[in-house]
Amino acid sequence: MNILVCVKQIPDPAGPQELNNDNTLKREGKLILDESDSYGVEIALQLRDTAGEGEVTLISMSPGEPSGLRTALAMGADKAIHVVDDTLHGADALSTAKVLAAAVQRAGDYTLVIAATESTDGYTGTVPAQLAEILGLPSVTFAKSIRVEGGKVHVDRQTEAGYDVVEADVPAVVTVTAGVVEPRYPSFKGIMAAKKKPLETLAVSDLGLDLSSWGQNIVSVEDAPSRAAGEKIEDDGEAYLKIVEFLEEQKVI
Amino acid sequence: MYEWPENMQLMRNVVRDFIEKEIVPNLWDLEHGDLPPYDILRKMLKTFGIDSMSRERFRRSIEREEAAARGEVDEERSAGDEGESGIGRDGVAMGMIPIVELSRWCPGMVTAMGVSMGLTGSAIMSKGTLEQKKRWAEEILTLEKVGAWAITEPDSGSDAFGAMKATARRDGDEFVLNGNKTFITNGPYADTIVFICKLDEGNPPDERRVVTFVLDSGMPGLEQSKPMAKMGLHSSPTGELFLNDVRCGVDRLLGGETSLTQTRAAQKEGAKSTFTMERSGVAAMALGIIEQCLQKSLEYAKERKAWGRPIGEYQLIQLKLAKMEVARLNVENLVFRYIEMAMDGRDLSLGEASAMKLYSAQAAVEVAMEAVQLFGGNGYMAEYQVEQLARDSKILQIYGGTDEMQVQHIARDLLSR
Ligand SMILES: Cc1cc2nc3c(=O)[nH]c(=O)nc-3n(C[C@H](O)[C@H](O)[C@H](O)COP(=O)(O)OP(=O)(O)OC[C@H]3O[C@@H](n4cnc5c(N)ncnc54)[C@H](O)[C@@H]3O)c2cc1C
Ligand SMILES: Cc1cc2nc3c(=O)[nH]c(=O)nc-3n(C[C@H](O)[C@H](O)[C@H](O)COP(=O)(O)OP(=O)(O)OC[C@H]3O[C@@H](n4cnc5c(N)ncnc54)[C@H](O)[C@@H]3O)c2cc1C
Repeated sequence: MNILVCVKQIPDPAGPQELNNDNTLKREGKLILDESDSYGVEIALQLRDTAGEGEVTLISMSPGEPSGLRTALAMGADKAIHVVDDTLHGADALSTAKVLAAAVQRAGDYTLVIAATESTDGYTGTVPAQLAEILGLPSVTFAKSIRVEGGKVHVDRQTEAGYDVVEADVPAVVTVTAGVVEPRYPSFKGIMAAKKKPLETLAVSDLGLDLSSWGQNIVSVEDAPSRAAGEKIEDDGEAYLKIVEFLEEQKVI
Repeated sequence: MYEWPENMQLMRNVVRDFIEKEIVPNLWDLEHGDLPPYDILRKMLKTFGIDSMSRERFRRSIEREEAAARGEVDEERSAGDEGESGIGRDGVAMGMIPIVELSRWCPGMVTAMGVSMGLTGSAIMSKGTLEQKKRWAEEILTLEKVGAWAITEPDSGSDAFGAMKATARRDGDEFVLNGNKTFITNGPYADTIVFICKLDEGNPPDERRVVTFVLDSGMPGLEQSKPMAKMGLHSSPTGELFLNDVRCGVDRLLGGETSLTQTRAAQKEGAKSTFTMERSGVAAMALGIIEQCLQKSLEYAKERKAWGRPIGEYQLIQLKLAKMEVARLNVENLVFRYIEMAMDGRDLSLGEASAMKLYSAQAAVEVAMEAVQLFGGNGYMAEYQVEQLARDSKILQIYGGTDEMQVQHIARDLLSR
């Protein structure tokens, strides 16, 4: 079973986050594998290993080095496609989806495209659905588990109350919720082997895409409003009553 | 090499991540309680596939040896296997990463692991017969079993061979072992013990041949003490061994009967490679301790205020930070040099290995002590980890040959040129 996994390489969220003059995020330093995507990679590896055949191919669009892709290759993915092109600077979610779709179409036969529900840096949570639309494939979101059987993908889809059992024809685009599996650590051997796995670097022109409009222009960025001061209650021994009252007002209890 | 290559950086990051999740939350129990380190170490080895890599390497080496014993020259296997995965060439660097990273938090865990997988494992692999390797080495090299390596005695440390009292006496087909060992890393928990003593053939002690036996925990007459109370390095259990008429067959004599005819020069050669391994490991440990102390000191110097200013603005604090950075660069360079030489297939001379240990150990102690000073009263409190690292670092100047012994080895090397 061949599986494609969209993985985003992002600036380390632990480091300082800075904007460029055009209000896009600085992506100059070393990019890492978005943790949100490590769950999708793990699920894909498990599906491949259960099937006993096939390949896991990573697809990513980002500037710079494929350092995050190497992490996923070290975990056990078989190969990677990295779209790098200065003209993509400032690309919005739809443009990103178009680029990823074009890369998917080059990747040969596949059963599933897996992505995360939302990325850690942009977190619009819109790319995967757009990708499915462009590819003309079913889109299943918020998966907590995935099984492929009899030409269909069976997904337990997380909801607020529990989960829905959903099935769709394959190929399909499925997004995976963070935390549903324990992503493996890359082994040392996996890390050594990652160096030698196929990694294809493509420009927009290789994908035969029309560059006419990348749409997004970020006009300004404002700080989030600081939180208004809360109410202070002196504890005279009965403060808990005030708290209970407050919680009742909020209809929390 | 002036920085870790990209793939090694990735290894470092994943090991760091593991340590933060699995070791840091248990730090108090490991360093101030009595949680033995072995299960966490095993989990680490398994997580990164280090145990299976060791096992594969072990099995290949046994296959090679067996092929050689059958008179087959197995060039393909000896050339192809290491190269293909890149592990042969990069193996040394790869081995350094967990040592450096663990030493930032638990130099004791490195000691427990290094003595078992390193000293004990390689003693069996370098001196043992094929049978002995198969019987003991695989489980030691993967840390399924805990190994100990016992030479030091209450009355002999630096002068380990000269003053050694432990003996083996022949009795029919067997040997009878007696003697006490002390300061033995992993002694309390060891499953397998490499025991070094002298063969008593009725001759005077200084003419006796040094022999090595492999013992299993639970053998009649063998007693393993509880962990000894000590200054630091608490995540490495240290103990005493008491042997009272322990009977061993020749199957436990490391190297078998032929070891009894080995020349002194050959024995010395074996000891030298042990020293080199141990001493380069100490440099990597020192690097971890220094990196951690420097990082913590920098954070503290920026955030702690005195007279309304961060203490990092005072020159006396800046001097401490600058000296820590100099030490870090120097020790890192020594570690990188060792790695580069290993990649070129070159060994350090004993003098070089000793110089590396002497400098690194002293640098680690100085940096850790200065970190305590920089932290002021907090530095003396267990809550701020530099206190632990200051205690732990001191061991680097004592075991694996004291500073004074390193000086002796360096000087001897220099003067013999
Ligand atoms: C202030 C600001 C600055 C911005 N700066 C930049 C910038 O400098 N450069 C830039 O490209 N965009 C920039 N954007 C655009 C933003 O990052 C887009 O939203 C992004 O291209 C994709 O959307 P997302 O991260 O929200 O994806 P989501 O829809 O949240 O992502 C869901 C999943 O889709 C997949 N996916 C999404 N993006 C990729 C990708 N690139 N490669 C592979 N898989 C992917 C992953 O599996 C991901 O987890 C900026 C947006 C804002 C608001
Ligand atoms: C935590 C810990 C773990 C250890 N683990 C092991 C282990 O696993 N296996 C094992 O066999 N041993 C182990 N040791 C023992 C260690 O190797 C010895 O303690 C060390 O070699 C020093 O020997 P000693 O303690 O007998 O000191 P001594 O030899 O008595 O030395 C006392 C002092 O005299 C100095 N000195 C001695 N000779 C000279 C000289 N000629 N010139 C100048 N100065 C001299 C020494 O440098 C030292 O400062 C361990 C020790 C410790 C503390």
